[in-house]
Amino acid sequence: MIKTEKVLHLKSSRGRKVRVVREHYLRELVPCYSSLCQAECANEGKVLSADVTHYVVPDAGVTRDFMEILEFREIQGLVFTQTACQAVQHSRGRRQYNRLRSLLKDPRHDCVLFANEFQEYSYCPREKGEPQDKWQTRCVYQAAVWYHDHLAGLKPVVMITEDQGAVAEYSSLNCGVYVLSTLEYLRTFWPELQAAHELYGSIAQALRERGNEGTEREFAEHLPAEVLEAGIKSGRYTQGTLNVNKHRAQHEAFVRFDGSSNKNSELDSDVLVWGGKNRNRAVHGDMVAVELLPKGEWRGRTTALTEGQGEEKGEESQGQPMPTGRVVGILQRNWRDYVVTFPPREETQSQGRNSLRILATPWDQRIPKIRISTHQADTLQDHRVIVRLDSWDSTSLYPNGHSVRVLGRAGELETEVQTILIENCIHIAPFSEAQLREMPASSPERPWTVDPAEVVTRRDLRDTHLVFSIDPRGCEDVDDTLSVRSLPPGPQGPRLELGVHIADVTHFVKEGTLTDLEARARATTYYLADRRYDMLPAVLSADVCSLLGGVDRYAMSVMWDLDAQTLQVNRVWYGRTLIRSSYQLYYEQAQALLNGEEAELPPEERDHKLSHLIEALETLTQVARHLRAQRDQGGALELEGVEVRAQLDEDKNITALVPRQPLEVHETVAECMIYANHWVARKIQERFPQQALLRHHPPPRQEFFTQLQDSARALGFTIDTRSNKALADSLDQAVDPQDPLVNRLLRVMATQAMSNALYFSTGACPVDQYYHYGLALDRYTHFTSPIRRYADVIVHRLLTAAIAVEEGARPAKASASNKELEEMAQHINNKNRAAQHAQKVSMELFQCLYFRDKDPETAECCDAVIYAIRTNGVLVFIPQYGLKGALYLRNREGQVVRVSQDGRCVWEAGSLQRSLDHVSTTTASGTSTFRLFQHVTVRVSVQTSRCHADTLHLELVSNRAHRAPEPPDRTPRAAPPQGTRGRSQLVQEVVRQAEEALLQAEEKKGRVSELSKEEREFRQSKTPNLYSLLEEVREQALLDLTAFSTGLHTLSS
Amino acid sequence: MAGLELLSDQGYRLDGRKATELRKVQARMGVFAQADGSAYIEQGNTKALAVVYGPHEVRMSRSKTLHDRAVINCQYSMATFSTAERKRRPHGDRKSTEMSLHLKQTFEAAVLTNLYPRSQIDIYVKILQSDGGNYSACVNAATLAVIDAGIPMRDYVCACTAGFVDETPLADLCHAEESGGGTSLALALLPRGGHIALLQMDARLHQDHLETLMEAAMTACKGVSKVLDQVVRQHLQEVSALTGE
Repeated sequence: MIKTEKVLHLKSSRGRKVRVVREHYLRELVPCYSSLCQAECANEGKVLSADVTHYVVPDAGVTRDFMEILEFREIQGLVFTQTACQAVQHSRGRRQYNRLRSLLKDPRHDCVLFANEFQEYSYCPREKGEPQDKWQTRCVYQAAVWYHDHLAGLKPVVMITEDQGAVAEYSSLNCGVYVLSTLEYLRTFWPELQAAHELYGSIAQALRERGNEGTEREFAEHLPAEVLEAGIKSGRYTQGTLNVNKHRAQHEAFVRFDGSSNKNSELDSDVLVWGGKNRNRAVHGDMVAVELLPKGEWRGRTTALTEGQGEEKGEESQGQPMPTGRVVGILQRNWRDYVVTFPPREETQSQGRNSLRILATPWDQRIPKIRISTHQADTLQDHRVIVRLDSWDSTSLYPNGHSVRVLGRAGELETEVQTILIENCIHIAPFSEAQLREMPASSPERPWTVDPAEVVTRRDLRDTHLVFSIDPRGCEDVDDTLSVRSLPPGPQGPRLELGVHIADVTHFVKEGTLTDLEARARATTYYLADRRYDMLPAVLSADVCSLLGGVDRYAMSVMWDLDAQTLQVNRVWYGRTLIRSSYQLYYEQAQALLNGEEAELPPEERDHKLSHLIEALETLTQVARHLRAQRDQGGALELEGVEVRAQLDEDKNITALVPRQPLEVHETVAECMIYANHWVARKIQERFPQQALLRHHPPPRQEFFTQLQDSARALGFTIDTRSNKALADSLDQAVDPQDPLVNRLLRVMATQAMSNALYFSTGACPVDQYYHYGLALDRYTHFTSPIRRYADVIVHRLLTAAIAVEEGARPAKASASNKELEEMAQHINNKNRAAQHAQKVSMELFQCLYFRDKDPETAECCDAVIYAIRTNGVLVFIPQYGLKGALYLRNREGQVVRVSQDGRCVWEAGSLQRSLDHVSTTTASGTSTFRLFQHVTVRVSVQTSRCHADTLHLELVSNRAHRAPEPPDRTPRAAPPQGTRGRSQLVQEVVRQAEEALLQAEEKKGRVSELSKEEREFRQSKTPNLYSLLEEVREQALLDLTAFSTGLHTLSS
Repeated sequence: MAGLELLSDQGYRLDGRKATELRKVQARMGVFAQADGSAYIEQGNTKALAVVYGPHEVRMSRSKTLHDRAVINCQYSMATFSTAERKRRPHGDRKSTEMSLHLKQTFEAAVLTNLYPRSQIDIYVKILQSDGGNYSACVNAATLAVIDAGIPMRDYVCACTAGFVDETPLADLCHAEESGGGTSLALALLPRGGHIALLQMDARLHQDHLETLMEAAMTACKGVSKVLDQVVRQHLQEVSALTGE
């Protein structure tokens, strides 16, 4: 090694200039990471392929500004230099640098990092007075030359730079090393890569425009990072994530603190940031530092309902003043890709002086308009386009961005679905060929068979156990099966063996393979209303892994040796097995068998085993009831109780209600899965106390229960929310015999108050936070659906490792550390949230399509129940469609609704009074009152919007309950069938595959857990959590949902 | 710059070394004629000068005299020009006093003090340029100076620092790495017997990692000892050539 010195001038913490001398060691052997290497470099890991036409070396400027182009997977043979990487780190911050790092790590992308500054011959010291960018370009050029020589000229090397001087200076110096500008490079080598050309154009344009900005200052400058850091430490500023209120995106935003950074103990709520000036260029999702305003300037959140863009200036009604602050600096931008809509031509021209610059409106209402420089404004009118934000200077009212890709014309189904995906950061490319090559072969002619060598290592359950699966009808990816049998009696009496057998996905998806990486990136299977995106390729998810009936499959099993009477666990066995499922049942079939009815089994399945099967089902039901009872004692939230009771009361209605009523067998299967998850969680946590992936459900914050308690009090019920058990009990009691809807609404509100269940790594949380509130279990994880969730795959690996350790074998590879696991858990949590949100939004999309196709005048009058009161309206719930929405009692002209004698409603001038449990309108001709839980009739229509998603609009028709023309029954149980018919027609029209997709969408239980849909129109939602309860609800088995879920429900039935 | 990447994905440190590589060590013995022993060492950009007087009779207060062994008196100081910003106080501040004490402890463990009862050995160390690992440079320089003075020692005392970044132990930290906020462990070793003369660590470290970190530091110390040994041998050759033997 050769030692040299590098002199740097840095700023010290006090702002003085300091001369720093750093050592710099050079060596001859720096690996080149090319498979063509002649000098036998120690190339480990990723290596550049040899079958490209050339290697390309981008210089610092290109890497910094045009990284998005380099991210195209088509561009291969990329050599990033250390110089360029450091330039990115310094000028673009850690986020961009991390992006570059993950690009370098991604094995699907053909690029490597060459540490040119540590190579003896490619390093060139910076000369005195040489500008930094010149020096960087020189370094990169040297590196390119070295690379070319090192490979003995086997590959031409192309350096790309934006510096025209460099092109002129270096291009003729060496043969074999070409220096081109980026544009020239793209034209020469990738003429057919249209997307890259367009992207280049838009970035370059944005860069040019940035140069000539005005100097007028619109916002206060952000404080420098050191000041912010010091301020946060001293408690002067507070750090948090900015959340913009969707309905008042212009004015209202809240900063939510990250638990740890909150030094200011008196601030237990969010901080309000009012107005654009105070928000100071922060965009939704950014990590910001806020300074509190003096108490005199505090204000409350707006409690009135707003209608779209309708601004009611003047008499703003406000709630309690809350801490209010202003943004002083941004710690971390969290910009993602946004979908925007280009304005029509008229608007473009009116924007004045520079027609190249266009203000495009993002689809997400929380994002400000984005200024884009483009020549394509005319062609892109009314198209939805993906843009990225570049910068937001203090001199500009709007952020600058550049367009990346055109999605299509607004309003088309495909465009809208793509929009939903992009807006939720879901990027799904079809599985690549390399990934599919890893898959085991299986075709209808030559189905996949088990490997005899593998059979020896597994416990063979094919002949000893009767294994069966229960899933929704038509399910392809069967990832769980059950078995139960009696064992010879032990010392304590008769024994049972209960077995849960899960598809052994990890056998096929080895850690670190391309399929594994892809699955990890996707983290879950995405279900939209009309399609689904699998986490694993179809050959695995629907065939080789899927535990289909009558074929041999690998499985991962948990088997309990139980006492037949008390169901005490004597012994638990975990391990890999080989099974053959004897029966692939669906829920209705299983229930029919249980009830002793004639089940429609195919004739060939009616063999001697059938009696065994029925026996097994009965035992299973017994066991599940017992387990459920155990959990109930612990305080599990049992929100489905009412449904069952209602069944008993009015037996006849039930067949009419839901063809797929909440069958007991749903619960049985769910209970077994919960049990398996619980025991696996115990096992891995015991074995890996620092690095096991578990799932916890933190207790809800008490203040979220306020609405529930207030509403219940209006009806004379008290809800005790101190513990999960108390909550479950008091909800059971809050039943209005006249109106079964009341209880259901209360339960929905309770569910909304819940926080989300989350994955975490055991090392990252104290033990007392492992508790699962909804299920009332001290340890829980996800183990039973590895085909659809990546978390289960991780848990499978942990379990395998735990078994291996127990058997004395050293695990081949150290399992992921706590830190990695925690990062993974975060990633999966985020993806799950995105998946749920996408699913919800796509449901809304289809709902709007449904109502749009209907006749506007007649059909949509339906019954609604008021469940919350606001100053200028009420929130209602429509049981027929499972919708929630805002109903305005005062319109923009200030008129209020008056109810005439016959129940009709008219708009008249008047005033509105709000009290705790009712709101009344007073006009010249009289007063009308609307109480909580009153039934009213509303009309549903679609409000179209060009830039955003369409929304549903509700209008009051009458203050009496709606009498449906067909069955004059206004109980919610009668409602779903109406919806069912209408909606299923719609679905058939719009998409064929919806049924299948949705069947998959539902948990094994077959319950449509569609809770999140209720929030769709819940306009006053206070926390972002409210949206994402879907997963939560699934595992809590909040069966309460069936009525609300008519939407999904009907789509799938 | 909070975001300095101390160890890149490819395993390079800020200055281009790999995790286990030491900085370049250069040393000379007998740089001053006046003192009984002296040495100069460069460990990368950290430069230290050590001077030894003695053994001689106790010059401090008489009460300090030990009648079974020699007293070791150490003084550590930093030149005002040794850091990027000029130092106000070259010695006598808390840090220097602490460092002096550490040096004293180290050499009490290494020098055969019982050979010189009722006497005193003075070790003065000055940092001329500081770039991380001051303690280890001082110990290494002082070792050479003590050898130069002809005072018998059990073994060379070699010191080196080690840090812990991204689950990887780094040997011989430079200033940027030391101030990066990670753990830094200083270890003085008698390499032949593998005895630890002094071990010091201020930051927090998980217990599980201590073993690996110490292992790394000890390996680094052994590396240093090889260099020192070479320096001593070369010096002896030069001296013996001069005296004509």
